[in-house]
Amino acid sequence: MDILRAEHIRKNFGSQHVLTDLNFSVSKHSIFGLIGKNGSGKTTTMKMILGLIKPTSGSIYVCGEKVAYGDTPTNRHIGYLPDVPEFYGYMTAREYLKLCGEITGVRRSEIHKRTDELLCLVGLNGVNRKIHSYSRGMKQRLGIAQALLNEPELLICDEVTSALDPVGRKEILDLLSAAGKRATVIFSTHILSDVERICDQIGVLNNGQLELQGPLNEIKQDYRQEALQIETLTPDQAPVLAAHLKALPFISKAEVSGRTVNVQLNHYEENSLDIIRLLASESIPILKYERLEPTLENVFMDVIR
Amino acid sequence: MSGFTAFFKKEIVEYLRSYKALILLCVFIIFGMMSPLLAKMMPDILSHQAINGITLNIPKPTFYDSFGQFFKNLSQMGMAVLLLIFGGVLSQDLSKGTLIMLLAKGLSRHAVILAKFAAALILWTASYAFAVMIQWGYTLYLFDKLPVPHLFFSLFCLWLFGIFILTILLMSSTLVGGAYSGLFLTTAALGALIVCQFIPGTDRFSPLALASDNAGLMTGAANLHHAVTAVWITVILIVSALAVSLVVFKKKSI
Repeated sequence: MDILRAEHIRKNFGSQHVLTDLNFSVSKHSIFGLIGKNGSGKTTTMKMILGLIKPTSGSIYVCGEKVAYGDTPTNRHIGYLPDVPEFYGYMTAREYLKLCGEITGVRRSEIHKRTDELLCLVGLNGVNRKIHSYSRGMKQRLGIAQALLNEPELLICDEVTSALDPVGRKEILDLLSAAGKRATVIFSTHILSDVERICDQIGVLNNGQLELQGPLNEIKQDYRQEALQIETLTPDQAPVLAAHLKALPFISKAEVSGRTVNVQLNHYEENSLDIIRLLASESIPILKYERLEPTLENVFMDVIR
Repeated sequence: MSGFTAFFKKEIVEYLRSYKALILLCVFIIFGMMSPLLAKMMPDILSHQAINGITLNIPKPTFYDSFGQFFKNLSQMGMAVLLLIFGGVLSQDLSKGTLIMLLAKGLSRHAVILAKFAAALILWTASYAFAVMIQWGYTLYLFDKLPVPHLFFSLFCLWLFGIFILTILLMSSTLVGGAYSGLFLTTAALGALIVCQFIPGTDRFSPLALASDNAGLMTGAANLHHAVTAVWITVILIVSALAVSLVVFKKKSI
């Protein structure tokens, strides 16, 4: 079942057409990575899901309910974490979570219990300082705590790792991965390695629409290039090997780079033995023979090209 | 109107922890103490100044002069302080982005406007009430009590003018972006009201009359009927500005 559905969304800012015809859906219990270049409309899409920005046309549904611009009741299903969360610096984390709980309508006793649990989860349980003294990573962790306070069915995270150092990024990705066990997560970013690490579904936003959507593994298989990388023992053997490979009918490309030969071929499974036989018959010693796995970067570059 | 109480409490805490409440209260207490003292001492100060050999003989100050000084101080410096303290009333939240996560949590946009208005109103009323009480006490101590016509009405007019400024600040903040744009737009609006006063006949309807005719109302120099008209017009403007704030903020992209 879909927890989120966007139908024919258009968004113009003056003469700028940010989204032209955005259609996508996110199924329950998935971690959906929304990827796209800077300025491709990821944040605009997130804010429209939250009813903070009005689409020029089209409709968005959260848990089957239509999102209304302005005050939307669908936000009771959602937890939201922006790229740089801004808090009231004069409050402590506990006070801020209490404010969020009261706004969401969580019972007073429940707020206290949830606050303890969440501060423990994000590693801020012993911190009693005012938020203005927090590092960026601490603020991001507090952001996750506030987003999870109302036990949302849908957690929306907008480029939450973009401004963090590697340690902070790992902490946030671990937290999101854990949150994904309880809620559906939509995670927008342009850092593809983050998506590969935690997402099981992806959508590529380009030219104002979602040009690709589906399970990450399937997409990577679909975009699999039949490619090999063979590393010879010495640099002078690489051109010799490349020349022999090019003579084979199923090899479409064999390029030399140092002592490495990058090979593109058709039907690897059927023809791989012929390559091995060639290496043996020509007595070319090799250091490495690797079938290249497709990366999300390849997929992304292919889609936006 | 989900979240009004929680957001209102947050506003009050913010005024307390940012020392804005303390600053406003102190400034208005100083006004309350200073006005009767200045009124009492002014003739002595001036009579000791010989200008080109001419010695000024100022009549003995009265209960009226004390309140006259009070209205002068509050309608000028007091309103300037009010503008500065509440200048970023909504603009700062919008420019910093602190509201986004709370709105995404289901905080009603109407609750934001009304809680901000209620908190500012309470702070202004408390500061003004303190200033009036201290002014009253010192005046009774330093001067002989005289029957002062329309004193409470004059005090009410100035209080209402303060509320008028608060609502215009709130409305301006919803209309324009930027951390202090609301303050600039309000200052421009007040400037426009001052310019409009030069058009004959308009001064009696202008909200500015509530901050300029107070002393005149006590002495009978200002027309009470005109002041009452200005009060009604200001009430209508306050309600309209609040309504505009609610409607505009509800439709604002954040």
